[in-house]
Amino acid sequence: MRAKVRWREAVRVAVLSVISLVWVVLPVWLLLVNSAKPLEEASLLELGFPKEWALWDNYSYVIHDGHYLRALGNSLMVVVPTLAVIIVLGAMAAWAYARSRSMTAKVAYNITVLSIVLPAAVLPTIYELQTLGIDGTRFGYFLVMAGTRMGSVVFLATGFIKSVPRDLEDSASIDGAGRMQIFIRIIFPLAVPVLLVGSVILIISTWNEFFFAGFLLQGSDRATLPLALYQFASASADQSVLRWNLIFAHVVLTSIPLVLVYLVVQRRVVPGLSSGAIKG
Amino acid sequence: MAVRESARRRQAGWWPFILPAFALVAAFFAAPFVLNLRFAFTDWSGYSDIIAFNGLENFRSLIEQDILWQAVKVTLLYAVSAMLVQNVFSLSMALVLQRSTRINGFFRSFFFLPVLIAPVAAGYIWSAILAPAGPLNKAIALVVPGFDYAWLGHGHSALASLAFVDAWKWSGLITLVYIAGLNNIPESLTEAAMIDGANAWQRFWRVRFRLLAPAFTFTVVVTMLGAINAFDLVAATTRGGPGTSTTVLNIAMFNQYGSGFFGTASSLSLVVTVLVVVLGLPLIAYLRRREIEA
Repeated sequence: MRAKVRWREAVRVAVLSVISLVWVVLPVWLLLVNSAKPLEEASLLELGFPKEWALWDNYSYVIHDGHYLRALGNSLMVVVPTLAVIIVLGAMAAWAYARSRSMTAKVAYNITVLSIVLPAAVLPTIYELQTLGIDGTRFGYFLVMAGTRMGSVVFLATGFIKSVPRDLEDSASIDGAGRMQIFIRIIFPLAVPVLLVGSVILIISTWNEFFFAGFLLQGSDRATLPLALYQFASASADQSVLRWNLIFAHVVLTSIPLVLVYLVVQRRVVPGLSSGAIKG
Repeated sequence: MAVRESARRRQAGWWPFILPAFALVAAFFAAPFVLNLRFAFTDWSGYSDIIAFNGLENFRSLIEQDILWQAVKVTLLYAVSAMLVQNVFSLSMALVLQRSTRINGFFRSFFFLPVLIAPVAAGYIWSAILAPAGPLNKAIALVVPGFDYAWLGHGHSALASLAFVDAWKWSGLITLVYIAGLNNIPESLTEAAMIDGANAWQRFWRVRFRLLAPAFTFTVVVTMLGAINAFDLVAATTRGGPGTSTTVLNIAMFNQYGSGFFGTASSLSLVVTVLVVVLGLPLIAYLRRREIEA
């Protein structure tokens, strides 16, 4: 019996390994190995090691002529404030939505939650930013990110805070603590685990955001990483041969920051996401 | 009196907490959303400073140019295919990786990697894999010599390939949702079914699959609605082609915008909204009912 179980487990792991080889390893390998080849060798799209190495040439080309660092800076300039604003303001609002019985607050909460499901309208957004005189800017793009991504964090945090008994807050309030103090000392620390899950979703979705970026950020000097990658690859599409080596190098550099963050927090992310952030 | 007064003050005291977050949502989600209901019926364009109401003219012109229904058809086909591929693959993976062992944790993290890659970047990786001279055709050519099919160069296979790439990108996350759902099912139920003589296949379909309803609702709706909003992946690969075979609504919208027709672009984005509402709500209601019956 035990031998049979162990044998089945071996088969299972073998099958999983084959699937992950095809599903993840080969695409990533194709990407990495061809980003290190010279143009003509890379255009064959083969999986073998480079016969001639052009690793340094390709990556330095992308960093200098592809303006990688500028795009990285733009991405950080949008994603970091978006994250900070949504986590702090979203947690504050979530606490209020969880505790307030006012009808107006309920309406505000429902509109916020609707924003998770309903698609945001991009053209009126452009119109609005033009009216405010901030169209095409990173600041305008950041505001739009903050407004359209607030919903999921508020939703997660409200659900969580509702499940927490009020006793702690009530006794702190009797002891004379003000609302802001209660929020800073009690609510925010309690909500940290759920806010972490929210942050992961938020970081992935804003770091990779392309749709609004394409409409709202004017000129290549304001482009975030995905937009810069797109502009870089589109410029290369005019040539007779696609510059796969350079496009791949750009893809690698664009993906690296998020993969690095993931490797650091991975132990928390995957169990967090699979253990009940979502309950019907 | 005093009690009511203090209760009212307590309620009023929440506004400083709600307002900053809600102001952002109202200004940059709700206001554009409402404005779009108006712009969709105007002749707003890059060629004139005046924006005037023009009734159903935009829709008439989009239908006349064969843009509207074609884009709706492509969007729905894409959304349904992406939803199917994604859910079949993710549910299978979740069943295999359900138990929280060390090795399963490793595989879960591994399959999560594509989730981190920008859809645009995924588009470039897969354009290469699916290229006529790409590794997929080279693998097939081992069996069928000389195989060099352009997967993204033919209408049907282009749309199906894109749906597959979308599934590739998101399955790691959807698998985790299914795992959470599976782990919420009490083991006593499957054990009882086992004692009653149900085989593994019956235990899955009759017991676990039905109790999986909440997770199922979530993933079917999310994957479907996500695909209706598709843009990035298409922009990075086919740009709507060949012909209009992968021109989903958002790509058609982008094309109108690029030609300076902001009114018709708004109309197309209103159609996306209508599709989301029309498909999203009944889908949720239907799947919820199944939840209760189960």
